Amino acid sequence: MIGFVVRRLISAVLVLFVISVAVVALFTYGPSDPADAMCPEPKCTAERQDAITEALNLDAPLHVQYTEYMTGIFKGREIAFGSESYDCEAPCFGVSFIYRVNVWDDIKDRIGPTVSVAVGAGVTILLIGVPIGMFAARRRGTSADKTVIGATLVIESIPYYLFVLLAFLYLAVSAGIFPQEGYHPLTDSPLKWAWGLLLPWLALGLVNSSKYARFTRGSMIEAFNQDYVRTARAKGLHERRIVNKHALRAAVVPIVTIFGIDFGALLTGTIFTELIFGIPGLGLRALNAVSQSDLPVIEATTLISALIIVVTNLLVDLFYSVLDPRVRLT
Amino acid sequence: MTVSEVLIQGPDPEIDPEPRTGEVAGRSPMRIAMDRLLSDKVAMICAGIVLLFVLIAIFAPLLCKLFGVELRAGDPVTDTDSFNYPVIGPPNYGFTWEAPLGLEPNSGNDLLAEWFYGARTSLLVATIATVVSTVVGVVLGLIAGYSRGWGDRVITFMIDLFLTLPFLLVAIAISPMLVERWRENPTMLDNASLIALIVILSIFGWMGLARLIRGEVISLREREFIEAAHVLGMPTHRILFKELLPNLVAPIVVSFSLSLPATIAAEATLAYLGVGVTGRPSWGQTILRAQSWFDEYPLYLYAPIVGIVVLVFALNLLGDAIRDAFDPKSFR
Repeated sequence: MIGFVVRRLISAVLVLFVISVAVVALFTYGPSDPADAMCPEPKCTAERQDAITEALNLDAPLHVQYTEYMTGIFKGREIAFGSESYDCEAPCFGVSFIYRVNVWDDIKDRIGPTVSVAVGAGVTILLIGVPIGMFAARRRGTSADKTVIGATLVIESIPYYLFVLLAFLYLAVSAGIFPQEGYHPLTDSPLKWAWGLLLPWLALGLVNSSKYARFTRGSMIEAFNQDYVRTARAKGLHERRIVNKHALRAAVVPIVTIFGIDFGALLTGTIFTELIFGIPGLGLRALNAVSQSDLPVIEATTLISALIIVVTNLLVDLFYSVLDPRVRLT
Repeated sequence: MTVSEVLIQGPDPEIDPEPRTGEVAGRSPMRIAMDRLLSDKVAMICAGIVLLFVLIAIFAPLLCKLFGVELRAGDPVTDTDSFNYPVIGPPNYGFTWEAPLGLEPNSGNDLLAEWFYGARTSLLVATIATVVSTVVGVVLGLIAGYSRGWGDRVITFMIDLFLTLPFLLVAIAISPMLVERWRENPTMLDNASLIALIVILSIFGWMGLARLIRGEVISLREREFIEAAHVLGMPTHRILFKELLPNLVAPIVVSFSLSLPATIAAEATLAYLGVGVTGRPSWGQTILRAQSWFDEYPLYLYAPIVGIVVLVFALNLLGDAIRDAFDPKSFR
């Protein structure tokens, strides 16, 4: 077990290292000169371009830039930006080119909304998907089963941003059932927080649950064919007990694994939800940063998202290896 | 016929669910799958729908002439009134053959022409990106599965790495840079954003298939026919592409048919974020512009939505049918 944990940790750290190098390299040696890309031509002066080059330390070799960036994250650093100087404390992801503020100060308040959206949506996915899958599995082959599974296929064919967009347009803007301006911090008022996020949760949950419904159905049907379920039936156990106690327990392990992997993607994929509902999260900030070519913010959001995915994947692997000892062998 | 080929064509364990009289000769798994697919009504209807979209994409200029519409020919001054509403067709006037889907508010462009060419962009981008990512996935999967040790480790690590990158964030971050880069080349001016989009969709699409192929190859490489080829002194590239590849047709076809609709949806998604194709019609960008008109002018919003949903749905069902056709365990 310890060997497995160590191996997974090393690989996670290695992945993060390569991603951080790639992020730093891409933005300095990437296809375009960031100083050029940042400097819109009508407004660009030679001084401004020089200031940008100097601020980014673009002439230095990659390893110097990388060390500098990483030192910033772990220890903090001084950033000279033209004539001004910023004292950037750890974790320092640089200074925003556009707003001239510490990037970490700018984005740390945006993690909360993003996590709120993702966690709520994740819970909704499971609450909708798993019961529907169980329902269909128990009625395998009947018209109810076919209707439910057909419906999940239709929902899955709607690109999820369209689903969220239509939900927003009709239920929030047109009908006014749900509030339009979505986000209130949880610490302010839990009720307002939940009410504002209810529609994003439902929309994201419903559109993503179709996969889980089909997956649960398949997994449950497989479990129903197992000998121990037959034994349970032969003993005369109540059907509800067989479904909930025996079959579901076996079926839920692979669902948990897939959910863990999807959850990482959900955390970084809330961009649309944030854009459509105007939720001030990480994704929305990244989107604005891209349209403004605000490189330090793009770097920071990409790195933080990668970190979130690596950590969730790691936790899923560890959790899974506790549930299923065979995993540790590979 | 080489020894290895004899070894591949061993007794076929597959039993055709509908045995036919007078046909005793062995049929290849590909042939069996094709027969199963052809007798699947839903699959054939979906294939028909997909074919219709392909024809629309190919003959978009001809269709535009047929309906008497022209792409991006709108004039904001003559085609829209002072409130930016179109002067003919919906939302303020009835249906007209001059513009069957109406004109776009603000610009006055014809929406039917926009829709035809949108289908073209969507299918073009998705097909190229899926083909590229399939080729990359197959080649890397073959190499990873067949080479023991470092080659395998490096490719597996790359798969993990690309799976870890947050796709949407990286896509929106690198696309302006790629466009910037290619824009300097004057011949690519119009196509810069198109190529950037294809590159992005390709580099994030190969991992699943590479993993799948790697797994298949690991189990196949221990089989006798590969050992025989090895003993005969067949060069590695011949073993990979002549011996292993034909045995991997089923997973490749299935993966291709299921990732095509996903890529179409991804293209529309990115277009909505403004990352996608600029300067040419795209369903995703029409949706972006149309969303604020959803109440007054639903047709504007729904024409591209229906296009995407119907195409993706038909491709999904077709992909499912292809998977079933290749799966010897599934009986209908």
